[in-house]
Formats: sequence, C-alpha cells, structure tokens
Amino acid sequence: MNRKEFLADCGKMSLAGMALSLFPWLQSCSDEAKREVRGEKARIGVIGTGSRGIFHIKHLLQMPSVEVVALCDDYRPHLEDAAQYYPEAKLYDDYRRLLEDRDVQGVIIATPLYLHAPMTLDAMEAGKHVFCEKAMAYTQEDCLRVYERRKELGGVLLIGQQRLFDPKYIKAMSMIHEGRIGDVVGVRNYWYRNNNWRRDVPSPELERRINWRLYGEYSRGLMTELACHQLQNGSWSLGMLPEQVMGSGHLIHWTKEDERDVYDTVSAIFTYPNGVNMTFESIISNKHFGMGEQILGSKGTIDLVSGLYYSDEPMPAGSGMHQLVAQIENGIMSNSVFAGTSWAAETSPLAPGLPITPNVTVNSGESTVGAEADGSKEIIEAFAHAVITGKQPAKVLEESYYASQFALLADRAMHENAILTLDERYKIPYEPIRS
Amino acid sequence: MASEFRYSDKNPDHPVAYAGFYAMHTRIETVVTDIDEERARELADGIEAEVKSLERLFNRFDDTSPLAVVNARGAREAVAVDDELFMALELCEAFRRGTGGYFDIATSTSAAAAGRASCMLDPAAHTVRLAGDDVRLDLGGFAKGYALERARRLAVDAGVENGVLNFGNSSVAALGRHPYGEWWAIGVEHTKIQSVAAHEFRLRDSALSVSGRSLRGEYHIVNPMTGAAVAGDELIAVEGRSALVAEVLSTALYAAPRAKREAVMAQYEGYAALELWCRDGGGCEIYRIGRR
Repeated sequence: MNRKEFLADCGKMSLAGMALSLFPWLQSCSDEAKREVRGEKARIGVIGTGSRGIFHIKHLLQMPSVEVVALCDDYRPHLEDAAQYYPEAKLYDDYRRLLEDRDVQGVIIATPLYLHAPMTLDAMEAGKHVFCEKAMAYTQEDCLRVYERRKELGGVLLIGQQRLFDPKYIKAMSMIHEGRIGDVVGVRNYWYRNNNWRRDVPSPELERRINWRLYGEYSRGLMTELACHQLQNGSWSLGMLPEQVMGSGHLIHWTKEDERDVYDTVSAIFTYPNGVNMTFESIISNKHFGMGEQILGSKGTIDLVSGLYYSDEPMPAGSGMHQLVAQIENGIMSNSVFAGTSWAAETSPLAPGLPITPNVTVNSGESTVGAEADGSKEIIEAFAHAVITGKQPAKVLEESYYASQFALLADRAMHENAILTLDERYKIPYEPIRS
Repeated sequence: MASEFRYSDKNPDHPVAYAGFYAMHTRIETVVTDIDEERARELADGIEAEVKSLERLFNRFDDTSPLAVVNARGAREAVAVDDELFMALELCEAFRRGTGGYFDIATSTSAAAAGRASCMLDPAAHTVRLAGDDVRLDLGGFAKGYALERARRLAVDAGVENGVLNFGNSSVAALGRHPYGEWWAIGVEHTKIQSVAAHEFRLRDSALSVSGRSLRGEYHIVNPMTGAAVAGDELIAVEGRSALVAEVLSTALYAAPRAKREAVMAQYEGYAALELWCRDGGGCEIYRIGRR
C-alpha cells in the first residue's frame, strides 16, 4: 500500500489529520503537495552503488519525478552494475567530482558508515540536498557536526530511517498515541540472523573495503547497521528520549572467518525517564526468531513487524465476524477473511492478532540489503519531493539524529562496560512525538 | 432467543452488536453498528425467527416441510402451497430461464436435460406440479440468498445503516460501510491456505456469494443438464446488489461449463463475477466472467 492509499484508508478525516499532526514529515504525500511539484523532476546523483545503492536505484527507476544524472563508486564493478540501470548518467569514481556537477541537485549517499559524515558535509557545502543512509555518522561528535552544519547552510538532509515513512508504522504509532494499548510499558526490539555477514571478495586486498561492516575502524557493527532502525520505536511510542543505556556485546561465533573485530552478539537496554525499558538484542548466529519490534502497553500489544494488534483483555476466539466486532471496538479498519464455500467451526482457542491495516507487508529482516515495502521507497520519494521544493521535512532529522546518537552510545556502553548517559553537548532541540 | 448475542459499547463512537445462531445447516452471524441495544436484540431475534421460518418452509429433508410435501406428492397431483413458497418457486423458474437452465432447483431430470421446466406452477390455484417421478426440488442454491435478502430488509427497517450479515460464509450482505472505512473489506479465503485472502471484495450496500467445492472436498453443486456433480477446483464469487441474485448466479456459474458462463452473466446487469483458482503454496489466478 502506498502512502496516499494508506491515508485514504484511514477512513475518518480525523485519523488522517492526526497522523499528519503527529508525523508532519508526511506532509509531502498530501494532494496539495503533489500538485506543487507536478511535472518537475529532482536531478539526483547516487554516491555508493553497492548493494544498498542498487536497492535505492531500483526504486528510483519507478519514480517519474526523479532523474538520476550521476553515479559514483570508487569500486569499478559496482559502478558498472549501476550504469546498466541508468546508461545516460555520468559516471564518477571520485565523489568530489560528482559534487562539482551542477546538474546534480541532490545526492543519495550509500557508502560505508565512516564516510557518511565527510561526504554529507562536503555535499552540503557544495549546495546539494542530501539523503544519507543510516547511521548519521561514525562518531557522536560527527553526528552533531553534521546536524549543526545543516542548520547553518539550510538545504535538505534526510537520514535513511525508512520506518518513519512506512505506512504500517505510522498507523501503529497513531493507534498508540490514541491510547489503544494503554500506557506504553515496554519496547522490545530484536534482530536475529544466521550468516557471517560477509560479501564476496574478488581479491584479498579488497577485504576491508568490501567487508567494512566487520571492522571497527569503519563500522560500529550491529548497533549502527541494525539497531539504528529500531531504536526510534521507543521515542516514537513513548514521546521521550532515553535517559541511560547499558549493554553487553561480544564476538562469540564468527571468529574463524576473518580478522573482524565487531561484535556478533549484542544486548542493550535503554531506560527512559519514566523507568520504561527498551531492549535491543541481535545475534547473527541464530535466526529462529528473526526480526521483531513490539510495543507493550498496559491494555494491549502492537507487533510492528507483523502489523498485528493484540488486546490484553480476553477476546472471543473464533469467526471472522467475531474479529470484525473486535476491529470496530478498537477503531481499526481491516479486512476480514471468512467468505468461502462453507462454514466450519473454529478450533483455535486463542484469538489471533488483528491486522492494523489490510494487506500488511511483513519483513523478515533476513536480507542484508533491504526489503520490499519497508518504507524505503517512500522515504526516497519524500527526498525527491524535498529536492524539488527545497523544504526540509519537519522533525524527521531530529528523530534520526537521536537514533544514531543512542546507537553509538550503546556501542560505547558495551565496549566500556558502563551505564552511560548522553552527554549534554550532544543534545539538540527536540520536540518529541506526542499527541 | 438468539443463540449468541453480544452488545458492546467499548467503543463509544460506534457501539456494535453481534448475533449468531445455527440454521439451514450452517452458522448465521450478523454484526450491526450504531443502534441501541434494545433494537439490536429485537433485530437479532427477528432475523433468527425469520430464517428459521424459511428453513421450515424450504427444508426438503424435513418430511413435514411444505417443500418436502411437494416432492412427495407433486408428481401425482397438483399440490397447493402458501404464498411464500409459491413466490419462491416462481423466482426460481425465472432464474432458471435467465441462466439458460444452469440454475435449476430440480435435481437432474429428463425434463431439465431437454431444457424444460421440471415443475409447473399454476398462479391462479397456487399449486405446484412436478414433471415426473424423478423430480425432486432442492432449494439449496437459493434458500440462503433468499433468507439473507429477507434479513437485510429487516435490518434496514430496523434503522441499521452499517452492518454485515453472514450466512454460512458463502453468502454475505453488507449494509453501508465499515465505521472506519469507505466499505466493508471481505476476503474470500484461499482454499489451500487458511485465513489468507484469495481475493478481497469491497462491499458497500452489496452482497457476495461464493460457490465451489466445500472445505471437506465434497462437490455438492450439480449440473442440471447432466445430473453430474460439478467437479471444478475453482471458486466462483459473485457480487451485486441482491444477495439472492448473487447466490443464484454463483450457483449457476459454477454449474455451467466455463464456455457458457459469460452468456449467463450477460443476462444480469450490475453483477460482477470472478473465477478464483487458488494455487498450492499461495497465489490465486483470477478471471472476470463477462463485464459488469
């Protein structure tokens, strides 16, 4: 479902209105905003055309409001792969040359983490609008530098936190802020995989370049590559930022593959000012439980990944018509699957979760590149719109900033074996999402 | 009186009433919104009473039902029946002609194979006569739709603007829309994968009827021309204004050979029909029959 269908699907104008007031960065999906840019194109350059860059390129191909005019990668095979999608685009192996290209209005940066800040800063200095993959930067200091420089220069900066644009998450958070699950009493995030996280390396000297994620010199490992996506679930649902973080991380299983030094198992606890805990756990040597994100409330639970709502109050088990009653009681519009050739008694004693929207897309989290219908297309569309209008979407950069800061802080907490709080100097003006 | 009745004002914006009971060998369920509890109970009781009354009239398995009496004696003599049954039989005859004979309440007979009516109706005397000893009338592909249409009218008369009436999952009538949407989103369940929709219908003041092989794999729809059970794997789903017409059409289309289905649909404006072929492992091929 695309964003426009989603907002139409909200039904009552008040809900759609509420979603827009809670999540003002969605303004660009309104009809008025679309009319504003009709017929115009954003001229984009993609810096970093490895797996994630190609993932974005495949979405860009579907967008009539985007023209990809330049591609850049200093690894020739990646650049040649990308050129097949956009044969007319100019090719660069040095991003600084691409930034000199006046035809480029905005850039998408999909390079290793340690390059995010330098490239973003350079791009902003060059007057380009920027979409940079998460996390914002390799160090907390650089996150702040990037944020402040953007404020000084103006221009658009979006960080690749696509859940902020995923209709399923937006619906879930709207429900949470309407009180549908009561008070939020816990947030659970986890991401389990079973693979060595390696990419193929054609020759040994390319090891650290291609498998940068595995080396602390370039990467913060699971906290920036995975946790960063999920940590905002806490600030979204609670309307506040964590007060402290603790954690434990180790390299326990993938010890013989290579010289990696990032953890392959991490567990972190973020504690909020009201005492609520948000957890994040990732182990990449067992995939049984896959990816999970759950907001636990005093009256119910929302599973963000499956898009299902569960009430803590007993619900009648059984027919699709019973579920229809539960939908209406809980103010949810969803489909009811029961029509067929005949009726058979329900045998399950447990009431299944209610889909919070029809046609929910479930992401297993297994892909190390990205998943379909996970908000990635929507966020790039929003970036393209912002490139044309020059308007920075409200609030979303601050959410991304703090997700990156807390991911980095948790990584530090693990390495230092300490309970840490966010240093005052890294705090920026922030308006939490609250109804 | 209703077997199960539940009224909920947990959502003060849209109180909702659920009722469920067993009749016509299946489960009948209703969900209506935005009426007070007393009216909701009265409506639930009224629908149950009405459906069970029609069941008593149409049930060929009950020796005492007027339809069973017709089946027992109609070959030898003209049997007098009441207005309700007579009107139902007249409707069935009209549908038989309209569907080119593919909807036929008479089990296979030489008359049906020859394209003739298997029962003769005398409007002046309100009597029914069967064409031969081998004729039996079975209102299986008609009664639920008829009863559902009756229930729908009761609901409308009770002031219900939004609700869903579900007769055994195979006949569904939607009044108005979901309180939080522009329609009622009703999925036809995939035949190979539980709780997954093969196709979703958006019903707004319209009805849906589904025909096909039963869950237990039985074929219970017969081709009136040949008398053989129809053994297709597809589902037929028909949507339109009247629950009765939708059910008649889904029965007739399933009974008809694929090549004849478009001709059947051509006679009925304002109804849409789909063939749903559910595949192992998921997915469904969907073909529209004719044009709406």
